[in-house]
Amino acid sequence: MTGRTPQKTAREMLQATGCRTRFAGFLAPGLPADRRDRLAQAMWLPPAAEPAGTAPLAVLLAAGEFAGELGVRAAMDTDALWLPPVAAWIEPPVEPAAGTDASGPAPDLATLLAEAGGSDLYLNLTTATAHDLQLGGRLLTALSARHPLEGERRNDVELALHEAVSNALVHGNLGVDGMKELSVQELERFSRDLADRLADPLLAARRIVIAVRIDPAEDGRRLATVEITDEGNGFTPGPRSSAGASGRGLDLIGDIADGLEIENGGRRIRLRFLL
Amino acid sequence: MDYGIELRDQEAVVRLRGRLTFNDHAKLRTLIGEMGQNKLRRQVLDLSSLEFVDSAGIGMLLIAREEMDRAGKQFVLRSAAGQVKRVLTVAQIAKIVPIED
Repeated sequence: MTGRTPQKTAREMLQATGCRTRFAGFLAPGLPADRRDRLAQAMWLPPAAEPAGTAPLAVLLAAGEFAGELGVRAAMDTDALWLPPVAAWIEPPVEPAAGTDASGPAPDLATLLAEAGGSDLYLNLTTATAHDLQLGGRLLTALSARHPLEGERRNDVELALHEAVSNALVHGNLGVDGMKELSVQELERFSRDLADRLADPLLAARRIVIAVRIDPAEDGRRLATVEITDEGNGFTPGPRSSAGASGRGLDLIGDIADGLEIENGGRRIRLRFLL
Repeated sequence: MDYGIELRDQEAVVRLRGRLTFNDHAKLRTLIGEMGQNKLRRQVLDLSSLEFVDSAGIGMLLIAREEMDRAGKQFVLRSAAGQVKRVLTVAQIAKIVPIED
């Protein structure tokens, strides 16, 4: 037996049950009130007026038909929506139209919120939405608000996050091949493929899920574990190739991160950063 | 990413601003076309106002270099700073493209 005191902190008790984040409410910038109220019922969570206080909040992103004229990028272009107390960013699954069967087992919002509760930071967005949001930089904002990151290390972590997210969206969910030959024709092919695949509703609806956990590490430091999961066809990591226009992203990630694991046939990448 | 081109006596200077990522593919195609069309032999990319570049951005710079090579033009990167300078160094781009301070 160790000399452990019987009083556990609230955080330890939450961790013991697999719950890290207990949401006190949610924000839904741009969502019509009736849709917001239906989502509140689905989650058993009250809407919050603004990103304030210390209790964790989830942001529900108004995407697609709900994004309004300016789109999801404008709705989310407020720093406060990416800073504490906001700890999760979830795009609600589309409600099946009345009288039609839902096509496939779409996750319900309560399930996504429970997943978010198991992480310190959590994103679950469609590819169409994620593509518009510069997620690498936004993730860095959220992470560095919890643990300051400065100078070169900050730039490096942003690049690694950005590369991993881009890979999941472009090569994973959209299945677009990297630029191989060094030619403007290959650049045109990349542009065309990207536009075609984004216009495909099935591919654009594929999800990217990012779960971040921050844990104590040695020497009083902290270890951030970032898992990025896509719904693409996966890939097999090959040898380094630096002859073409593509192929440097994974190498850069490997150089920067303190840990890099690729799982699930290439559909999940797990990065670790000592902070 | 945005850019502006200044035609000088001896060189065309293209100043890139903002973030250069995979999403800038269309702008890079236009830029490569414009660099090919002006008469100057020396095409300089001024990176001093570029804040961020990713691996696809590096790849597109290498495509620009290759296309200038095909057009018989010289292609130079100039004044990279901060994150951009660091990525160019880590990816060892100086082996492929001349980089000036």
